[in-house]
Amino acid sequence: MSQSFIHYFLVPLVKGLLTVVLVGLAAGVLTWIERRLLGRLQIRKGPNRVGPQGFFQWIADTIKLLFKEDIVPSRAEKALHLLGPLLLFTPAVVVLGLVPWGPNVTLFGVTTPLHAAADLNVALLLILAVSTIGVYGIILSGWASNSKYPLLGGLRAAAQLISYEVPMGLAVVSAILMSGSLSMVEIIEAQRKAGVWFVFPGLIAFFLYFVSGVAETNRTPFDLPEAESELVGGFHTEYSGFRWAVFFMSEYGNMISISAVATTLFFGGWLRPFPNVAWLGFLDVVPAFFWFAGKVFLFLLVYIWFRATFPRYRFDQLMALGWKTLIPISLGNLVLVAIAVLWGAAGLKVLGAVLVLLVAAGFFAVWRRPARPRTSTTMAATNVEVRA
Amino acid sequence: MSFLDRILLLDIFGGLRVTATHAARKADTVEYPEQCKEPSERFRGMFRLDEERCIKCTLCAIECPINIIYIDWHTEKTPEGKAEKKLDRFDLDMKRCMFCGLCEEACPTNPRSIWLATKTYELGVYERNEALYLDKSKLTKWDANVKPYPGVDPDKAPVNPAKEK
Repeated sequence: MSQSFIHYFLVPLVKGLLTVVLVGLAAGVLTWIERRLLGRLQIRKGPNRVGPQGFFQWIADTIKLLFKEDIVPSRAEKALHLLGPLLLFTPAVVVLGLVPWGPNVTLFGVTTPLHAAADLNVALLLILAVSTIGVYGIILSGWASNSKYPLLGGLRAAAQLISYEVPMGLAVVSAILMSGSLSMVEIIEAQRKAGVWFVFPGLIAFFLYFVSGVAETNRTPFDLPEAESELVGGFHTEYSGFRWAVFFMSEYGNMISISAVATTLFFGGWLRPFPNVAWLGFLDVVPAFFWFAGKVFLFLLVYIWFRATFPRYRFDQLMALGWKTLIPISLGNLVLVAIAVLWGAAGLKVLGAVLVLLVAAGFFAVWRRPARPRTSTTMAATNVEVRA
Repeated sequence: MSFLDRILLLDIFGGLRVTATHAARKADTVEYPEQCKEPSERFRGMFRLDEERCIKCTLCAIECPINIIYIDWHTEKTPEGKAEKKLDRFDLDMKRCMFCGLCEEACPTNPRSIWLATKTYELGVYERNEALYLDKSKLTKWDANVKPYPGVDPDKAPVNPAKEK
C-alpha cells in the first residue's frame, strides 16, 4: 500500500469510524451512568439488576430498541421523518471529529494527530456552523410527524436553539480573542503559551458557553422541546424503535461534543493542569487523550447533576434568561476580555485572578449560610429484613 | 434575594450542593423481592381472625360500609347446658376491601377478634376471585396464596401484637 493511500484514505476512514462508533458506545454507557448517578443523587439505587451494578442495562435497552417495530405515522412526510434523526445525529459526530483528542500518536508505524478531521484553521467556525444544523433535525422531525405535540416541540426548539446560539457564539468569540486563532489545536497551544487555562480569564464566557450548551442540547432545565410532562416527548413523540434510539444517541452525542468543545476552548483540551509548571511534570505519565477524556467526562457528570437538581423553565422564563440576561452579560464579558487581551500577557492572568477571587467569595457565602434541616423518612432503611 | 445573591447565583449553587450531599447518603430504597421494609405499627394489611375470641356478634359485618363480610352461625348446647354460638361461615371478600378498618373498630372483644395490623402487604395474586375471597380457614391460618410478613410464623395461630394488652 502506498503512503498516500494510507494517509489520505485509510487513516481518516479508521478515525472517522472510530468517532462514530465511540459516540454510539459512549451514548449507551452514558445512559447507564446517568441513571445510576441520578439514582444516587435522588437517594435511590437506579438500575442494578442486569449484570454487575446493572451495567448491561444499556445493552438490553439497545437490543430492545433495535427489535422494536419502526412505526411511521401514515400521514407523516416519510422522507423528512427519516431525515430528522439523521440531521440531529450527524452534527454531533462531525463536531466531535473536529475537536482534537490528543497530540500526535504513532500506531502501527503511522504517525497521525489524534483528531478525526484535519487540523482546520477555521475549525471553530465550522463547529458553530455544523452544530446549528442540528436544530433542523428537530424542527423537521417535529413538522414531518404531522402531529400536534411534535410540531409544538419543533417550534419550541427553533426558538430556543436560535436564542441560545447568540450567547454561545459570543462566549466562543472571547475564547477566540484570547487565543487569536480559530484552529482548535492552536487554541490549545495558546493556552499552553499563556500559562493559564482560558477558563480563568474566561470564567464568565465558560459559564455562558456551558449554560447555552445545556440549552442547545435540550437537557434539563432547558428541555422544553422534549418536555415529557407537557408535550409527551415533544419532537420525538411519533418516533419509535431505532429512529428514536438515534434521537437518544444524538442527545448524548451533542452533550459529548458540547463538553469536548468546552474542554478545548476553556480547559486546555488534552493539556494537563498547569502545563507550564515544571514540578507538576509527573502528571505527564497520564496520556494526553485521558486528560481530554477525563475533562469531557467531568462535564457530562455536571450535565447529569444539573438534571438531578433543576426543574424545567417556563418558556417565557427561558426566553427572558436568554435574551435579557445571557446576551447582555456575554456582550459585557466580551468587552472585559478584549480589554484584558489589549493589556497583554499579564492582562489575562489579572482578569483570571479577579474572577476566581469573586467566585471563591461566592462559594464562601454559600458555605456560611445555614443548611436546611434534613427531612427524615418515616420508613427508615434500618428496618430492612433480609429473607432467607 | 439580595443583589449579591443574584449576581453570584447562590441559589443555583445552593441547589447543586443539596443534590451533591444527597449522593453521599445511603439509598432509601431496598432490593424489594429479597428485602422488604417494615411497615408502621398502624399499617393495615392482610386480615386475621381469632375464632376463639370472636363472640359472633356480627357487628363487624354490620359496620362494614360495603358489606363484604358474611357471617353465619348456629347455637350448640355445651355439656354444662349453656347455649353457645358456633361459627359456620365467616367470609370476607377481600378483593373489594378498602382497608378502612371500621370492622376492627366495631369489634367489642378485647383484644380484637378481627384485625388488619398484620403488616402483611404482599397481597398480589393471579386469581383474585378465588384467592382473595377469604373463608374461615384462610382468615385464621396463613396459606400459600399470601406471603406473611417475615416476622410472622405461618404455622402459628395469628397474633395481634398491636392490640395485645
